[in-house]
Amino acid sequence: MNIGTRKILDRSFTAVGIGSIIVMAVALMIVVVPIITNGIGAVFFTGTVEHRKMLFSEFKRGDSENLSSEVASSERYRAKVYQMLTGFEAELETMAPEQKAEYQAKYTQVRAALQALLGPLPGDPEPMLTRFKYGQTRWEKAEEKLHDLLYETRWDNSNPEVMAKEYFVSRAIGFQGTSLVKLFPYVKNNLESMLLPEFTCYWGFITDSSVDSHFFGGIWPEIQGTFFLAVGAMLFAFPLGVVAAVYFTEYARPGFLNSMLRSANSTLAGVPSIVFGMFGLAFFINTMKVSESKSVIAGALTLAIMILPTIIRAAEEAILAVPKTYREASLSLGSTKWNTIATVILPAALPGILTGGVISLGRAAGETAPIIFTAAVSVGSAIGLADVFSSPTPALSWNIYNLASEHEAAAQIRHVQYGMVLALVSIVLMLNLSAIVLRARISKKLKG
Amino acid sequence: MIKKILLFVVLLSLTLSVTAGAAVTALVLDGSTTVGPVAKTFAAYFTKKYGVRVTVSESGSGNGAKSLINGSCTIATMSRAMKEAELAAARQKGVNPVASVVALDGLAMVVHPANPVRSLTKAQISSIYRGTITNWREVGGPNASIVVIQRESNSGTEESFKELVVGKGVQITGRAETQSSNGSVKSRVSSTLSAIGFLGHGFVDRSVKVIAVNGILPTVATVKNGTYPVSRPLYFYTNGQPAGLVKQFVDLPKTAEGKRMITELGFINR
Repeated sequence: MNIGTRKILDRSFTAVGIGSIIVMAVALMIVVVPIITNGIGAVFFTGTVEHRKMLFSEFKRGDSENLSSEVASSERYRAKVYQMLTGFEAELETMAPEQKAEYQAKYTQVRAALQALLGPLPGDPEPMLTRFKYGQTRWEKAEEKLHDLLYETRWDNSNPEVMAKEYFVSRAIGFQGTSLVKLFPYVKNNLESMLLPEFTCYWGFITDSSVDSHFFGGIWPEIQGTFFLAVGAMLFAFPLGVVAAVYFTEYARPGFLNSMLRSANSTLAGVPSIVFGMFGLAFFINTMKVSESKSVIAGALTLAIMILPTIIRAAEEAILAVPKTYREASLSLGSTKWNTIATVILPAALPGILTGGVISLGRAAGETAPIIFTAAVSVGSAIGLADVFSSPTPALSWNIYNLASEHEAAAQIRHVQYGMVLALVSIVLMLNLSAIVLRARISKKLKG
Repeated sequence: MIKKILLFVVLLSLTLSVTAGAAVTALVLDGSTTVGPVAKTFAAYFTKKYGVRVTVSESGSGNGAKSLINGSCTIATMSRAMKEAELAAARQKGVNPVASVVALDGLAMVVHPANPVRSLTKAQISSIYRGTITNWREVGGPNASIVVIQRESNSGTEESFKELVVGKGVQITGRAETQSSNGSVKSRVSSTLSAIGFLGHGFVDRSVKVIAVNGILPTVATVKNGTYPVSRPLYFYTNGQPAGLVKQFVDLPKTAEGKRMITELGFINR
């Protein structure tokens, strides 16, 4: 090959390489940027006075004097709304029956929209569900609800051959000629005074338990559950994996059995995680009865089996990468085989082993399939260490799925779902970063 | 250093085994996604009131039944009654499933709000799901082919729907799309102009339009007096007659507070 062709080939390879890195970076940005921007919204947002009321009565957090003065000032503006409602109700009584029925239906919708915006109105019974006890806690949601109050959604059916088209009708027009017509511009102009939006930094999202199945509150039980499951899996898998790797590399004689075991291990690493989930249910819960029902321990064991092959492979590679001279030097000084492994080989292989371990830890934290049937529940309180043997737990990966699809009000609490996604991604990222740091520190120490 | 860590681990495991020995009273609920909102709300209420840990999984009525039979849950939440085969399996394992009704639920037939169709007869819905009616024009709607949405085989809602509308053992059209929960049926219908699906009444919101069946809309009154043709009870199944804490939990729908929670969630008290 002449030098010109080689140069061209070389350059084009560089170009392809840079190109693929750019594609990867762009893909990463497309995935990560929405996760971060949406997820941050769970902690930093424009909160209304309803949010501060909720925090005070559900979590006893916030300054009560400050809050009561805020509530008083918002009530001053709300009082006029309530006054208009009672005024209109009195007016309804004086109407002719058919006119009354017509307005009553429309009025019920207005009342419902106001309840969604401001919380229970005077005269409403105290709701049992926390989600109905407060108005909109987030300003952007309040603006959506304001639109619902001001406009009615109608569907244009004029052409029977196609699906209807959505259009909005101002509700105020429907109340023309009654006293309620003034309500709409009033609420529109004074919503800020009624809800007092201000920038809120809600760290409780990370440290609080959820209230009324994730309508309010935070995701601490999920974070803790994820942590317990991942660390539990590690406690089982890491020692076993390292011991197995030492056996494979140092003790096992090369032969048919050994190569079978190794290829079985590689196969296991490629088994889809749902298979491990079903295995965990059938073996740990139904056969071994490690716990009465789903539990953290059953989930951790299932995850441990799932990550075991990866840990064994990583540890094997790390041990094989220790220079032969180390071993020879140690043995020539009269050290025994076991002593050489424990004092020379394992410490030298430690950075590699730990990297494999921490990456598996990240995988255990993020897996959903193995814990669906063995450990995860959609609602549960944070559990103590003593409960890991008997109690299932919510976990980030599963609850993200649950909130996205199964929750009855998924569309209303998207911010919680995004927050959970960000939390999970950050946990995995932090674990991987700590692996890098740990590795660097240990190798530095070893080089001395 | 290593010795210290070992000592710590040993101590930790000792304390753990001691504390684990103490009887922990906790309720474990597993089953229907339709009963999910009620179960979750009751769980939060129960934990607050009695300090008992209650966990809820929503994995489908079929799974709830299996969990109860395997003894891995205290209460199975189901949106259909247990089948003969399940009862037989339970008896074989020495489990005696006892049902108690939580609430009534009207299975709402839902379409996209843009769909002008307001009412269908049971026969029409059945034909749509059997695949003999494939265009909205055939039932008085616009010219658009119907996207049929059903639930997975594990779902009690699917079983109730088949039993009440299509008929037991009748094959649903192969073109029907399967969704795994009430929530995902709702989001699919609300984003697909020509879709039809069915939901537990508690899951209905403004993103979808409920259509009348045989001219009757599912409301508290029509479900309660049985005029709405597609309604069914929701169950809590326990192993044996409930006693103690389990009984208190199962009896929540009979208390005034329980009734109010059920109503606020959009379900119908018996």
